[in-house]
Amino acid sequence: MADNQSSEKKLSRRKFLVRGGLGTIGVLAVGTYVLRNPIRRAILEKANEMDLAYMGSTDNPMLWFELGKDNVVILHSPKIEMGQGTFTGLAQMAADELEISMSNIKVVHATTATGNIDGMSTGGSTSISGLWQPLRELAAIFREMMKIEAAKKLGVSVDDLSVKDGVVSANSKSLTYAEISEGVTNWTIPEKPILKDISSYKYVGKPVPRVDLDDKVYGAPMFGLDAEMPNMLYGAVVRPSKIGAKFISATTDKAEKMPGVIKIVSEDDFVGVVAESYIEAENAKQAIEVIWETPDNLQQDAIVSMMTVGNGKSTIIQKEGDALEGDDIVQMEFRSPIGAHAQIEPNGVVAFVEESKATIMISTQVIGITRKEVSSRLGWDAEQVNVIPTYLGGGFGRRLHTPHAVQAAVMSQAVGKPVKYIFSREEEFQHDMFRPPTHHILKGRLNEQGLLDGLEHHFVSGDVGNNSALVPNIVPPIVGADIGAIRGGFLQYSAVPNHRSVYWHVTLPFATSWWRSLGLLANTFAIESFVDEMALKAGKDAIEFRLAQVNDDEAGKRLKEVMRTAGERAGYSEEIKDGKAMGFAASVDAGTPCAHVVEVSVEDNKIRVHKVTVVLDPGLAVNPDQIRAQCEGCVIMGMSAVLFEQMKVVDGSLTPTIYGPYEMALMKHAPREIDVVLLQGKDTPGAVGEPPLGPIGAAIANAIRRLTGKRLQSMPLKLT
Amino acid sequence: MKISMIVNGQSHAIELTDEYTPLLWVIRDILGLKGTKFGCGKAACGACTLHVDGEAVRSCSYPVKFAEGKQITTIEGLGNAENPHPVQQAWIEEIVPQCGYCQPGFMMATAALLNKIPNPTDEDIDNNIINVCRCGTYYRMRKAIHKAADKQNAINEINEPTKA
Amino acid sequence: MAGFVLASIYKPIETAYTSTPVNEQENRQNTDVAFHKMMDVLTHPRCLNCHPSDNVPKQGEDSHPHHFDIARGESHKGFEATKCATCHQSENNPYSSAPGSPHWSLAPHSMRWQGLDRFEIAKSMMDTERNGGRSPEEIKKHLTEDDLVLWAWEPGTNIKGEPRELPPVSKKEFISAVEAWFESGHTIPSK
Repeated sequence: MADNQSSEKKLSRRKFLVRGGLGTIGVLAVGTYVLRNPIRRAILEKANEMDLAYMGSTDNPMLWFELGKDNVVILHSPKIEMGQGTFTGLAQMAADELEISMSNIKVVHATTATGNIDGMSTGGSTSISGLWQPLRELAAIFREMMKIEAAKKLGVSVDDLSVKDGVVSANSKSLTYAEISEGVTNWTIPEKPILKDISSYKYVGKPVPRVDLDDKVYGAPMFGLDAEMPNMLYGAVVRPSKIGAKFISATTDKAEKMPGVIKIVSEDDFVGVVAESYIEAENAKQAIEVIWETPDNLQQDAIVSMMTVGNGKSTIIQKEGDALEGDDIVQMEFRSPIGAHAQIEPNGVVAFVEESKATIMISTQVIGITRKEVSSRLGWDAEQVNVIPTYLGGGFGRRLHTPHAVQAAVMSQAVGKPVKYIFSREEEFQHDMFRPPTHHILKGRLNEQGLLDGLEHHFVSGDVGNNSALVPNIVPPIVGADIGAIRGGFLQYSAVPNHRSVYWHVTLPFATSWWRSLGLLANTFAIESFVDEMALKAGKDAIEFRLAQVNDDEAGKRLKEVMRTAGERAGYSEEIKDGKAMGFAASVDAGTPCAHVVEVSVEDNKIRVHKVTVVLDPGLAVNPDQIRAQCEGCVIMGMSAVLFEQMKVVDGSLTPTIYGPYEMALMKHAPREIDVVLLQGKDTPGAVGEPPLGPIGAAIANAIRRLTGKRLQSMPLKLT
Repeated sequence: MKISMIVNGQSHAIELTDEYTPLLWVIRDILGLKGTKFGCGKAACGACTLHVDGEAVRSCSYPVKFAEGKQITTIEGLGNAENPHPVQQAWIEEIVPQCGYCQPGFMMATAALLNKIPNPTDEDIDNNIINVCRCGTYYRMRKAIHKAADKQNAINEINEPTKA
Repeated sequence: MAGFVLASIYKPIETAYTSTPVNEQENRQNTDVAFHKMMDVLTHPRCLNCHPSDNVPKQGEDSHPHHFDIARGESHKGFEATKCATCHQSENNPYSSAPGSPHWSLAPHSMRWQGLDRFEIAKSMMDTERNGGRSPEEIKKHLTEDDLVLWAWEPGTNIKGEPRELPPVSKKEFISAVEAWFESGHTIPSK
């Protein structure tokens, strides 16, 4: 397990420095944090357990904390807030070590100009776990620096000082952090940060309300689409509706004469239009006639046949014992469809390219990559571009890819003014970076005791990590498999003597990429449906059957505890009561085990989920309420994907392109009860934002199997 | 053409060439009220829901010309931190938002619902609250809607004690 | 409750609608032609989509159920707070593609046509027990003058920006056919 142990990550003292200015008393720029080479790490650690940390720059100082005259500390977060509650968790962690109250800490997104850029992006459920150690250490250093100066000013020794709510006191005298900072030019940086005892924390471990709650409830302008700059214009980009279409030429005469149009921007790789308003830009876009060279019309059946185990390149990602052979093998196959991100805030960006600098305001999960792509297109140094990230109206992996920032920058440069470019919903659906479809073949054999003697998972997926700017090109050839697609593809039943997982990779003719939990949703659906079928075959209780086949190593113990607790809490039973059946499934993702028990009925041939019990072991829970919120959200988003959603290729286009036809879970579909139980199987925080998505599909399918006798093998799960 | 309307209690006269411009963009880009969100532009997701003369309207599908002389309320006018609407209070108490983007639309739809049905059943909620939330906050929303109903009824009880 | 109210307003059903007898053979042929022309329109999704046999409006040329489980509600105009007018205004919307017309709503449940053949629809349309108590003259007026009926020939564009399919008969021809059918005694031919 790749925990973030403090011993592995030491702050480098010489990197600390303190800056003044910016209208505040003292601006503390403390940095940098130790890094590990992401490539090496990706190879060294099994991707299934990847628990990637924060990976910042090694060279430049970066801004973490800013102290204002009002004694409020501003934390510049290198992680993006996209709903997962990261800002709140980071504020809790920092406030406890800074010794300030929650009302005196404000979290903002670090711009690239602060230097505080996380090369690992915001994703993979790593924000809290990755920053657990470094952020607390940085905060502790800040606190100790304050104490050292306070001791000088108060004429006492550091040991005589007490700190509370940003006020340092000795005897009857006290100074606020702001007062301490006044006039200090030469800060003393402590040798080693002394972290407080976790049990003494006031905020960590408590269900503190989200720090962005008021802004979100009163409608504050905080998202990418709300961003504005003075004299801003609006851009739109013409995109093809067909997969693989190549731009040949465009006729723009008509569009040029449309109301509000400022300029048509024709580049080698796109045609854009800049106008005075969003509507005028959209109208003019419709009036541009583009000739595309389109390949033969692709159809859905071609995609399905491409996505079949045996196609592409294979890698054995897990192997223990022998391959299964013989007539007594049980075999089943499963499929998952193309999934759209469908986040409610469309992609959008405001770019202003001036003579020698550019400013980009954007909903992005990858500020460093956004900056790099814009600066390379402009032919500039990265430092000339400042990316100002905003709150995301949903991330889910969609914003790990931001070429629209480049397009807005090019349009801005062409008109010399800021340009805002917003995707239409059609653009959003047609040009998503989809969750790839998958196909799985599961094989198993029972021994005389009715336990698994062998278990195999053979599966194929499109790109997730491969061909993504986030994964260096050198990784796939070395790792041999797509590090995203294989998430959840490993078999957790370590006690099964013969088990293996074989991954096949196919790159589809349209873009597929990161979607919340990556391969976990589909892989767990397939594996846990099959294991459940084997439990039925063995005539054993679904949970007992699973418990018997997990080794008692550390990870195994945590998984078993989660399974057991879920069964007890939900009163798991194989019986059908009042037309409702229960279903069970469990998974481990990024080191966090999770189990679901669902209660399901069928009404008018539709699957209705009444109750979901979620048991999660995220390690130390920094904010139990937000972890619960993530569990609830994962259950509902997972249900949506498992019961309703699918994109299809029709006549060369990805369809549908609007909510409704792209069916999703609504209020009426949400379970009336979601019971979340959190266990703590380790003393540091683990992954939270994705692991609870794993079990939901199989848990529902397993309940339906018990209720109707039907084994549903394709997502979305439909009874007819 | 010129369109006059009252937004959150303030009169506005807006000069426009295209009378079919969706009210959404007038509210967001001309009046600068960003709480009303663009989600789909096709009246499908509900992120742009606001009130026109007290009725829930999806403003991406509402030509500004129909707003002439009307009273518009957006999330900014529903309530604020000093004077929150019961729906907003309930949303805060239940810690509903995750990414938060769809939430103003849901709160506006809920406020409209409570005006029509002060004590909505779960079925009333299922029928009327059909906006889309990707983070999956429906579970907390349902609790918040019931809570908001209780809060609003309590306020009405104080204001009009005789009216049972 | 609704059923009780209805029963007190309307007399119990005694007979089904019977048409005025017409004798002349030639007349009958003309009437039949007019009838079929009229019914070619009334059986098109542009009309049927809002005359559902259940409580769910239909959409598109394939008459799929309205997305998001929108339904009739008490008023035939949707649910209490989320109603037809939440998205549909008195005109088609060029930006959202939401169709619109004054009094955009579903036909009352008594006027459910979906699933009926053209003869049954015509019968239903002329039956005062089911047509809202309208006289033949009022029905003729409804068919030839009502905004929502005539919307069928100005249905706007769908979500992809493509024009919605028009009924198979032009508006002018439809109106003439309706007038001819009513003037010649509105006889419903036998199947």
